[in-house]
Amino acid sequence: MKFLSPRQLPLTIGLLVAAIFVFFPLISAGEFSLREPLKQTHGFDNYVWFFTAPDFGKYLGISFGLAVLSALILLVILVPTVIWLNLGGARFRGFVEFISLLPLVIPVVALAIGAQTALPDFAQTNEVILAFMFAVLAMPYAYRTLDTGLRSIPLKTIVEAARGLGASWFHTIVRVVIPVVRSTVTSALFMTLALSLGEFTLTSLLHWDTFTTWVTTMSQSNILGAISLSVFSLVAVFVLLLAISIFIRPTSNTVAQEEN
Amino acid sequence: MSSTTLSLRGVTRRFKDTIALNSLDLDVAQGELVALLGPSGCGKTTALRIIAGLDRPDEGAVLVGGQDVSHLPPNKRNMGMVFQSYSLFPNLTAAENVAFGLTMRNENKRSRLNRAQELLEMVGLPKHSKRFPHQLSGGQQQRVALARALAFEPDVLLLDEPLSALDAQVRANLRDEIRALQLKTGTTTIFVTHDQEEAMAMSDRVAVMNQGKIAQIARPDELYHNPSDEFVAGFVGQMNRIPVSIEGHLANLLGQQISYRSDWAGASANPLALVRPEDLTVSTVESAEHGNARVLARAFLGPLSKVSLELVNGIEISALMTSAHSQGFQPGDSVAVTAAKREYLVVAG
Repeated sequence: MKFLSPRQLPLTIGLLVAAIFVFFPLISAGEFSLREPLKQTHGFDNYVWFFTAPDFGKYLGISFGLAVLSALILLVILVPTVIWLNLGGARFRGFVEFISLLPLVIPVVALAIGAQTALPDFAQTNEVILAFMFAVLAMPYAYRTLDTGLRSIPLKTIVEAARGLGASWFHTIVRVVIPVVRSTVTSALFMTLALSLGEFTLTSLLHWDTFTTWVTTMSQSNILGAISLSVFSLVAVFVLLLAISIFIRPTSNTVAQEEN
Repeated sequence: MSSTTLSLRGVTRRFKDTIALNSLDLDVAQGELVALLGPSGCGKTTALRIIAGLDRPDEGAVLVGGQDVSHLPPNKRNMGMVFQSYSLFPNLTAAENVAFGLTMRNENKRSRLNRAQELLEMVGLPKHSKRFPHQLSGGQQQRVALARALAFEPDVLLLDEPLSALDAQVRANLRDEIRALQLKTGTTTIFVTHDQEEAMAMSDRVAVMNQGKIAQIARPDELYHNPSDEFVAGFVGQMNRIPVSIEGHLANLLGQQISYRSDWAGASANPLALVRPEDLTVSTVESAEHGNARVLARAFLGPLSKVSLELVNGIEISALMTSAHSQGFQPGDSVAVTAAKREYLVVAG
């Protein structure tokens, strides 16, 4: 039997503590969500309860739709911006970083009040406004993910090579840049989707109903059902992100023996 | 083969207060390989980027086959370029990379793939067509980049220090391969480098650049043996700076009367002759009073050896000779040093 070396011990202990910290509450929540106190047993009654609730599908659909829309909005704004910053707009990097940090330092309450007072009526009467607000909230994370990813590749050289080979700007972006930065864009997409699907505060302050606010409302009448809903949400988001990552995985990563 | 002539006319490029190119003129003949050689910041890469269309000149024009292409974007210039850093598209295989330029020119798939395979065979990578860039070594990546740049038969091939990221052995091999390929395809080529050996070995002509201008453009041998000024002489190869006395149209160098060329106007208090180490003849003497120098050290370089000497006036110089001849000299020996050529460049000291 192999024992851990003294150098591996602190790392292993650290990982174990982190794993307990992350997974213990999840496992506990999962166990709790399966309790059926009246029958003194475990079962799926709580899950059946919320699955058969009348508005379950409706609010899940709303949240998913808003999350996808917010991810699209953010990517349409950020991908060209970050590509431009890395190609020739480096002197504006400080300004863009400052703007991207604002959602972290401005309280969500202030954002909500700002939206309510500054936006025109037609924007306030349509829940699509939430997608734009979610995009703002996700911007600090998505921007940094994209920027770090793009800085790690020789984007300028690749773009110049493509242009020199006869590619127009459109073809350069579509055929070269987007495929090259696909994994980075995927990471930014995950960030935005995860944040949007779980957002509660802003939605509640703006008096809209999504899956998260519906869960809160439901939890007031059935605490076990609410825990089941939370566990379900967590697993659903995880499965969704996993599915997306598999769907847009790069075509080949096989590393062959290098020949010199 | 679609090779053609290339000319730069009064090309000037400024970056804020710095003049990167100062009214640069250059003519490259069809099928010729010209190296732009110079120290960092001399403007050679800026010149290449302006030729490629990746940068715009503030003044002047770029002519390809007599046509002004200064206003054209890079994708309309039909020029192939190989970059210093690896620039293959990481999401495409070697064959797809090579075929990229043809795809942009709407060639059909069959002819694209055939041409890509042909070029990969030409650069010695016929079995690597399906590999991705991260599955290739640095030298292989630059070979694929070269094939990619040549695949669509460019009017001009631009090489921006393509060997500088490679190790010495790969670099030497690829240097010869690039030259052979350029001669085979007959593509007009501009090759930017700061490595004088590379420039001399590969080029039909070498343009030595300094402060945004071409200091001298000539065949490698001419450049080496007849540098136009002190900068070129110092940048290309090793050079001894030996004091001379001017006597009318002649100069006295190491006790010999020589004719000289000069790049300074007027008299100089301390004129110096620029003498290549191999242009010095060293011979043994019977006694110290018959010699004019003392041997300091001897360095074995293979077939040749470098002998370091101290002249009687205290100036240190070096002489290059066959290793067999150098056997006769030991540190501390008194020797006689004479100039082997009859004419030298003399500069102000």
